[in-house]
Amino acid sequence: MDFELTDDQLELQRIARDVLDREAPASLARDIAEGSGSADELWATLTSLDWPALCLPEPVGGLGHGWVELAVLLEEMGRHVAPGPFAATAAQFVPAVRHAGTLDQQERFLAPVAAAGATGTLAVDEGAGTWDLDQIRASATRDGDSFVLSGIKCFVVDGASAEEIAVVVRVDGGLRVVVVPGEAVAARELNPIDATTRHATIDLEGVRVGHDRLLVGSDSDDVVVRAVQEATVGVAASTLGACQRILDLNLDHARERQQFGVPIGSFQAVKHKLVDMYCLVERTRALVYFAALVFDSDDGRRAIATSMAKAGAGECQQRCVQDGLQLFGGIGYTWEHELQLFLRRAKVGELHFGSSSSHRRIIARCAMSAP
Amino acid sequence: MRLGYDEKTEAFRDQFVAWLEANLPDPLLTAERPTSSAGVPEWARQFQRQMFDDGWLSPAYPSELGGRNADLFEQMVYLEELGRRHVTRSFNPQGLGIVSASIVSFGNEEQIERWAVPIMRAEKTAALGMSEPGAGSDLAALATRAVLDGDHFVVNGQKVWTSGAHDADVLLVFVRTDPEAPKHKGISALIVETDTPGLDRRPFPDLGGPDHVDFNEVFFDDVLVPSTNLVGDLNDGWRICNGALAHERAMLWVMWSQSLDNMLDDALAELNGTSHADDDVVLDRLGRSIMDSHAIRLLGHRQLAKQQRGLVPAELSILKLMGSEAQQDLAALILETLGAAALDQAVDSTLRFPYENDRGAVSWSDRYLFTFAGTISGGTSEIQRNIVAERVLGLPRG
Repeated sequence: MDFELTDDQLELQRIARDVLDREAPASLARDIAEGSGSADELWATLTSLDWPALCLPEPVGGLGHGWVELAVLLEEMGRHVAPGPFAATAAQFVPAVRHAGTLDQQERFLAPVAAAGATGTLAVDEGAGTWDLDQIRASATRDGDSFVLSGIKCFVVDGASAEEIAVVVRVDGGLRVVVVPGEAVAARELNPIDATTRHATIDLEGVRVGHDRLLVGSDSDDVVVRAVQEATVGVAASTLGACQRILDLNLDHARERQQFGVPIGSFQAVKHKLVDMYCLVERTRALVYFAALVFDSDDGRRAIATSMAKAGAGECQQRCVQDGLQLFGGIGYTWEHELQLFLRRAKVGELHFGSSSSHRRIIARCAMSAP
Repeated sequence: MRLGYDEKTEAFRDQFVAWLEANLPDPLLTAERPTSSAGVPEWARQFQRQMFDDGWLSPAYPSELGGRNADLFEQMVYLEELGRRHVTRSFNPQGLGIVSASIVSFGNEEQIERWAVPIMRAEKTAALGMSEPGAGSDLAALATRAVLDGDHFVVNGQKVWTSGAHDADVLLVFVRTDPEAPKHKGISALIVETDTPGLDRRPFPDLGGPDHVDFNEVFFDDVLVPSTNLVGDLNDGWRICNGALAHERAMLWVMWSQSLDNMLDDALAELNGTSHADDDVVLDRLGRSIMDSHAIRLLGHRQLAKQQRGLVPAELSILKLMGSEAQQDLAALILETLGAAALDQAVDSTLRFPYENDRGAVSWSDRYLFTFAGTISGGTSEIQRNIVAERVLGLPRG
């Protein structure tokens, strides 16, 4: 295998980093956390740069890039704690429509994303916080020309602001996706620890949508499984980026901060913690990009690759948040220092789309059942 | 990025598989096991020689040195096929991987002809004299002294942890040739034949048991070594010490990756079908080991791809650290999970894997203890962390 980004992918990474360095400074995330900022301008800029179209298929007006390129962008978004609808739209809404929708439905719901930055998200969990599809109870029931929904969905990223919400429901017992206009549901925005990752509880009870909003590209549960897997890796990629930034901030700090007349980075107790963080960041990057490659290659290892990426990101953030904050000492324990913005982004990544330990159990079960 | 290899690489793989299938020794002939890391049974010597003569021992080398100028991806699939079949290409790993490699990289034609080729063809075996009682993690503090006197060096001092020395024909010994120079700049590398008068090898058993003898103390008492046995330039030994693995460096990680994978296979086989396989706590920890095994392989592939593009990869420096600690974690998990059952001798793995460099049956408790060879030898995990901190992360020396 060739497990390094191609020259084109490295160029994309460079460009994404430059754009976000310029357009999404940490002060933007801070302004949003303090209630004075908005992600709208950033989204308009990214849309003008074709970010929403980048990884969409060409028939709907996309540029046809794959999951590796998407992971590059999501990692950079995390590294900049960039706010806005990109992650939920590109890594949650888009996969659901692509895998579950007919070609016409893909055109209907994805062309506006590609052309004008229409936003979307994916609603799965119903309160357990496990994203376990076996626990889905929300349903859609046919009534004449429409479907009537029931149930609630929790922890829906951008659930109060996305224009379209791909909702996982049961229809006649099977798992299906119905695309619900954001304005049709009652959404209650939660107060998240990371102000740049908004999520909401949405109430589906009695919501009525046209029958053509049920995605009917396939009658297999697997398309839903696949969409949720891709969304899960999207969260892992963003978490990875936040962890990389926590490590970078810590390395700068350890080289510059002097105590006892020397940089604190010369102490082994500090060095060894930083090396452990570095190892976990590299381990996670390997697992995230492996999952992206598996998605792009139609490889049969989607389930284990997804869980390894997510659990890897979870273990990485645990170490980076804990030691990253500890090594900064008092200055890291202030609102003023930018470190906290990245700590929060890293932490929220652990809690969305399944915890590390739940994913590790999936990994072990996959390995046990493999021939 | 791609998951598979290109056609050229796959063709190389096919060629090697065909060779292996035609040339692997009859398993019935492999009953004789190695006595140490330089005590190689005759069948394994013959097989290694066959690999050399057919250009499959060190594929990266030219044909006169047992290779076929393979590129990095070709070397990778070569190692994959060996690993898949549990075939150890040399039962004298330091001889092939470090001593002959150092002579090829830093020695002259005559030294290559006289020592490197015979070591590669398993006509001779070799051991590596690096550590001393006062020079372990601080290897550059080594004090074994070599004084040039006419056309000979006179060597005095002591080495320790010299694996396989009692079975080896030659030693590559790092000695102090300029005691006045800064410690890294007064070291040289000498080849010492083990039958030289004044050289005394005293093997002693390791943690594996009283009959598990690989380590040696090696004493030098006015040992006369011809000056033509100097490898590289006088006082340039530290470069050899660091560069000994340069040509193999791209591939050394594969050993860590494959031995972790092997242990994981055994662990899964051990747990599958038992009540442990439904224990969420066990599954949780096992999941982490599975992630380790994938991540190490993937990181190895990433540095390979970078090297193939002419870049210097940083990943390499963490693979030994991660691989050795991951094995320790996994062995500890299995030990704890199996409980008292882990104390019994396991099935003799040499029956399953006759071409692997194993010496016989081991229990999971032994395997756990043996993982410390990984976290201690070749630079302890603590030293590895210092190296990564300073060389990769750019942190100041303490």
